[in-house]
Amino acid sequence: MKIDFTHRQFAHCESGVTANLLNHHGLPCSEALAFGIGGGLFFAYVPFIKINYLPLTTCRIAPGHIFKKATRRLGIEVKKQQFSNPATAEAELDRLLATGRPVGAQTGVFWLPFFPPAYRFHFNGHNLVVFGKEADDYLISDPIFEETVRCPAVDLRKARFAKGALAPKGKLYYIEKMPERFDLPQAIKAGIRDVCRTMLHVPLPLIGVRGIRLLARQLANWPGKLGEQQTLLRLGHIIRMQEEIGTGGGGFRFIYAAFLQEAAELLENDQLIGLSQRCTEVGDLWREFALIAARVCKGRVAISDSFDELAQLLRQCAAEEEILFKQLQAAIGKQ
Amino acid sequence: MSDNFERELAELIIKFCNVEDVSPQDIPADAPLIGPDSPFGLDSLDAVEVVVAVQKTYGVRIGGKDSGREVLQSLKTLADFIRLKQPAKS
Repeated sequence: MKIDFTHRQFAHCESGVTANLLNHHGLPCSEALAFGIGGGLFFAYVPFIKINYLPLTTCRIAPGHIFKKATRRLGIEVKKQQFSNPATAEAELDRLLATGRPVGAQTGVFWLPFFPPAYRFHFNGHNLVVFGKEADDYLISDPIFEETVRCPAVDLRKARFAKGALAPKGKLYYIEKMPERFDLPQAIKAGIRDVCRTMLHVPLPLIGVRGIRLLARQLANWPGKLGEQQTLLRLGHIIRMQEEIGTGGGGFRFIYAAFLQEAAELLENDQLIGLSQRCTEVGDLWREFALIAARVCKGRVAISDSFDELAQLLRQCAAEEEILFKQLQAAIGKQ
Repeated sequence: MSDNFERELAELIIKFCNVEDVSPQDIPADAPLIGPDSPFGLDSLDAVEVVVAVQKTYGVRIGGKDSGREVLQSLKTLADFIRLKQPAKS
């Protein structure tokens, strides 16, 4: 069985899956728009939660939330399922495909054979769309690949039941019913308000601009407190979460800038054009941080010379983002 | 942009990433830029250096809707991307 599904390549998996599924069901949607409506932009630094033995640092909301929030804001009915039994999970996937539904799935990257070996690592929050099955191969639209790929059923089963942090537990999700009409402007505004709230107003020092400032304070002390090896591992981890893993660069800030540009047109709000430019500049600042951090990791600059500068760059990111999201909140609040 | 643009990019990468014992003319335009098969010996940390070097030198930002992973596949894909984003100079 093979569903007629249009595959498009994107920078990030979950916003790409969301955009491709919405497109399939008749709502033309870019990756940036799916990311923005889903309130994808975020920052959290949670030193007491470890991913691969390193403190959780993220520039996006938790896996699954972009699809969940974007569809909810657009009034779309969706179904989500998780399983304890891999055979049951596979049978349900086959049943859904037989009804003609493309199905989103959460997987562990390490077990997907179509990933080049150099890119396979233990990350269980990778999303893709299954749109068919031929013999023992599933047909897959993985948004980070240029073309659709095939995956043997035995490998997809392993990927859907990968163990560890963010274990997918066979998670499947799909669109059940589309509304007769969409209120796109309201969905966009709700997405923007959500991001402004989490970046500015969550009363926890780990989240939003406060989280960036906490990371700046702690990072400045890493060389003396943790030693060189652990310091470099932590720094490398931040670069990975910020510039790799399909972020579009600058910790998703460039994708968000593209969303604000689209939003300016759809909401007929020229203020958002300037704020999109400002968001790009913030992304550049994050990238400057990643550049110096990468030079430290590669031994091109001395650790002792760099950590004050790195901490200062993070403080600058926090200050710029505080201004950006306050202005964004004001620009949307008037509408 | 010259016919030797790929070679110019190879020189830029060698300079910014401190690559040693590699000559720009020895790098095939379609060889992997990043990863274990890269003739430059670049890894993902070097990728940050490359995208910033490209932005500072050519004023072209790699990111957002344009996936860095695709753009940084080889000298050819990188050169094509810069040509596309700098149509006036190509």
